[in-house]
Amino acid sequence: MSNPKPAGLYESATKIYPREITGRFASLSNLATVSLLGLFYAVPWLLWDGRQAFLFDLPARKFYLLGLTLWPQDFPYLALLLIIAALSLFFFTALAGRLWCGFACPQTVWTKAFIWMEQFTEGTRSQRMKLDKAPWSWDKLRRKASKQILWVTFSLWTGFTFIGYFSPIRELGFDLLSFSVGGWTAFWGLFYSFATYGNAGYMREQVCKYMCPYARFQSAMFDKDTLIISYDADRGDPRGRRKRSVDKKAAGLGDCIDCTLCVQVCPTGIDIRDGLQYECIACAACIDACDSVMDKMNYPRGLVRYTTEHALKHDKTHVVRPRMLVYASLLLVLVGFLVTSMSLRTPIILDVIRDRNALYRELPGDIIENSYTIKLINQSNDSRVFKLSVKGVEGISLNGVDETVLVEGGDVLSLPVRARAHRDDAYGIMKIEFVAAAADDSGDVKVEDSRFLGPTP
Amino acid sequence: MISEEYRGAQQWSRNKQAAFTVVWISFLCAAVGTMVFFALFDPVDLTGIFDEDLEIDRDVGYAVGFFFFWIFSLACSAITAFLVRTAPKRDAAHRADQE
Repeated sequence: MSNPKPAGLYESATKIYPREITGRFASLSNLATVSLLGLFYAVPWLLWDGRQAFLFDLPARKFYLLGLTLWPQDFPYLALLLIIAALSLFFFTALAGRLWCGFACPQTVWTKAFIWMEQFTEGTRSQRMKLDKAPWSWDKLRRKASKQILWVTFSLWTGFTFIGYFSPIRELGFDLLSFSVGGWTAFWGLFYSFATYGNAGYMREQVCKYMCPYARFQSAMFDKDTLIISYDADRGDPRGRRKRSVDKKAAGLGDCIDCTLCVQVCPTGIDIRDGLQYECIACAACIDACDSVMDKMNYPRGLVRYTTEHALKHDKTHVVRPRMLVYASLLLVLVGFLVTSMSLRTPIILDVIRDRNALYRELPGDIIENSYTIKLINQSNDSRVFKLSVKGVEGISLNGVDETVLVEGGDVLSLPVRARAHRDDAYGIMKIEFVAAAADDSGDVKVEDSRFLGPTP
Repeated sequence: MISEEYRGAQQWSRNKQAAFTVVWISFLCAAVGTMVFFALFDPVDLTGIFDEDLEIDRDVGYAVGFFFFWIFSLACSAITAFLVRTAPKRDAAHRADQE
């Protein structure tokens, strides 16, 4: 047995120098990058009722989303939300290909920001390539160092912002200024900074090619009606260089002048003219590049364009097809379910634990007593008064608890209570219900099942 | 007319692919595992199981939990990748028999 080629673990990949590009899709992509990054960096600073509007307070185990406070018990909502996100990804992939990869994926967005900083300090594609080949000089050192300073600062700010989603960002800022950030907080901030720096600065398209599961299985969502970016070989081939004055028909040439601009602008370093490839993240840079060349040549635009396999073969493209209907209806059902269950959610949690030390106690006057511990959680942000009661057994009543209890906003009240019923009505194992009703106009009521034990008849 | 330095050159070695994939995918699994686990269990409640007197902060609990999950899924991914990569290949004669 022979190994084909011994390869080292740290063999470095040849660097891709994407050429700078302007055009319709480049503007769209810039807009997406600026608005998505803007959102990421701005959102933790937003306030709502004097508190951070979006805060996933892990130490307190509470998630604040605008006016809503979610508890660990609300985890199913988050799970549902993630399922909806995954399904939307399927839906949009089947419809329009890798829109996510090209415009919205954090890997793409941060890589773009890092390339902007690279262009700012090291210049255009050809200048960058020349600079990397050149021996070390004062100019090279200055350019490389300023790029690193920009990258590192940006990464650190990214890490700080990331932590700001989990720990109040204003206090975090003050802690940072006074060098009193907690050990683990600092660790996770640096961890995220380093991941940003490595992924956006160095790994770039390699993440998409080798590490991203979505990139590998997205083709399963593709069919002949999915929007893809493709080179029109019928129109473009045979390729060849020519002067603008040359009559291409007489010269036997297609529309492609083989300028390789589409390859130079590609952030993953592929040639779109080789057909659909899984490395293509559908960023549409090659469309802009080719359109600019077609304009110069006075040829019609769209030699490289958004199209479908059907359209390329001059067949009809079907937007509505069974796959789309299945994804869309699943999405609608799940979104509907999430919205309804969120709107019906009562911000009260009632837990009843029966005291297991005794089955029941007999009190004078033929009274049977069971003990319970009630856990009443007020999930809202304001203090509320609740009326506790029990039902399910004739004449059953609560003892050892006030008529009404006050629970502060976001507090957990643990309450030992006793339920009593007459011996004639209480025998064997009986199902009872504890009820916590808000003593206000909201009509919020929470019911929890439990059991009441009595002597065997 | 694509310069040689550009075309097809940017490829990771198989070992590097495997290493980074294992680290990254086990990281994702650990993140999901940590999220689900700590949605159900509060680290402060859990420490009592190991040592009655042990008192830790939640952020330490989360970190320990996350790294536990990561190391666990890292080992799982790495062994799977190793076994898949080092499995004996079917030899040419055997393949020819089947065809």
